[in-house]
Amino acid sequence: MTGPVHADLVLMLLADARLPVAGHTQSGGLEPGIRDGLGPQDVPAYVDVRLRTVTEVEAATAVLAGRLLRTGAPDAAWLDLEQAWEARTPSPALRDASRRQARALLRIARRTWPAAPAWEALAALEHPSRALALGALAGHLGLEGRAVAHLVGYDDVQTVCAAALKLLPLDPGSVVGWVVAALPAVEAMATRVSSVAEVDDLPATTHPLIEVWAQAHAATTRRLFHA
Amino acid sequence: MPDPSTTHGPTPSPTAPARALRLGVCGPVGTGKSSLIALLCRELSERLELGVVTNDIYTDEDARFLRSAGVLDADRIRAVETGACPHTAIRDDITANAMAIEELEEDYEHRLEMVLVESGGDNLTATFSPALVDVQVFVLDVAGGGDVARKGGPGIERADLLVVNKTDLGPFVGVDVPRMVADATAARGDRPVIGLSRTDRDSIDRLLAWVDNRLAEHRAGSLVPVDPGPMAAHSHAHEHTHTHDQGGEPVGVHHH
Repeated sequence: MTGPVHADLVLMLLADARLPVAGHTQSGGLEPGIRDGLGPQDVPAYVDVRLRTVTEVEAATAVLAGRLLRTGAPDAAWLDLEQAWEARTPSPALRDASRRQARALLRIARRTWPAAPAWEALAALEHPSRALALGALAGHLGLEGRAVAHLVGYDDVQTVCAAALKLLPLDPGSVVGWVVAALPAVEAMATRVSSVAEVDDLPATTHPLIEVWAQAHAATTRRLFHA
Repeated sequence: MPDPSTTHGPTPSPTAPARALRLGVCGPVGTGKSSLIALLCRELSERLELGVVTNDIYTDEDARFLRSAGVLDADRIRAVETGACPHTAIRDDITANAMAIEELEEDYEHRLEMVLVESGGDNLTATFSPALVDVQVFVLDVAGGGDVARKGGPGIERADLLVVNKTDLGPFVGVDVPRMVADATAARGDRPVIGLSRTDRDSIDRLLAWVDNRLAEHRAGSLVPVDPGPMAAHSHAHEHTHTHDQGGEPVGVHHH
């Protein structure tokens, strides 16, 4: 980018499903949830519970990664953050899915912004999580903490809702209504995490059922979505 | 540091690091893509280091078929989820497939010579991005109806190779196989068509010769991926005199 660009444009770019980062392979855990009995009527509550648990952890971690990048934190700080995320993401399947998403994101991001200092920062980690990769990239592109949290929250809502359209008998118009209805919860989550300044501030909220579903899904056959 | 060779798609440059030839197999559901890949594995795995990436709509169905066929070590066959978007996964977001190919190559320490990529099966407009595969085969089958080849479309007209599969079934499904192959040939200009049957050794040998030639081109650095594109052939009578989509003339990529 050689001219001034408003952060809104960067946010739109990163939130756009057309960004080729294999977003279409993800259901945000909805596919195994449906296998275990979730129905169309449960999707809004599922979105909401994610925003208050796993997605809040993801967003807070990404916000802090962006902050580490802006402050030029040493390798040890990146390792601490990744470990803190691991400790808050006990399901190996969820960690693996996150790292695959990070790999997809970094594949295109390294090509698009080859000189970004974010890549040197992430070099301390062999397989960074999506939260760290996305946070570092967003930080490099000038997104503030709240915008990073918006990005993670909004993407999670859309990932689940788009997968719901594939998996359940739904009217796309109704699903847009669910996304809009979830936006205040995205905003509230962003408010909770946007000022996270150090690892000890990270929330440690998780949801055992989401973890159980993720573990079951990784072992199943005939999946439509990776996770 | 970023390494362009790991982030870019296939590149025909002879100075690029050696990597496996990436051969895509696409075409409608049920035409025999998995069987074609099993056939290639059976015929080539003795002399080539192979890997396979499958995109079945139910992720691992095709991978399990290939593994159970016993034609290739199960670890060399990787299944990729497409989120019910098989077309996206080979065209506008190739990330998941490209990562699977790269991981196979890394896991086998860059010894693989050819990676076969099987599309999840889609409609006649679905073709691979040239950033994902170096060369692509479009598969139709006799049992799908003798008129399909005449319908045209990018894969039928412009894939590097069109296979008309299951020619042995012609008499049982009332299809005139020579006619169907002739229709396909007419739709493709100079591009090759192979009427294939696993009971017809000569047809298998012609398929293998075609693959070997592409591999030789790839190794020589002279293979340039050609995009069949999604577009239908078009006419523009207001321009100069060619009338490439009329009267059974060859339709295909044309240069202006």
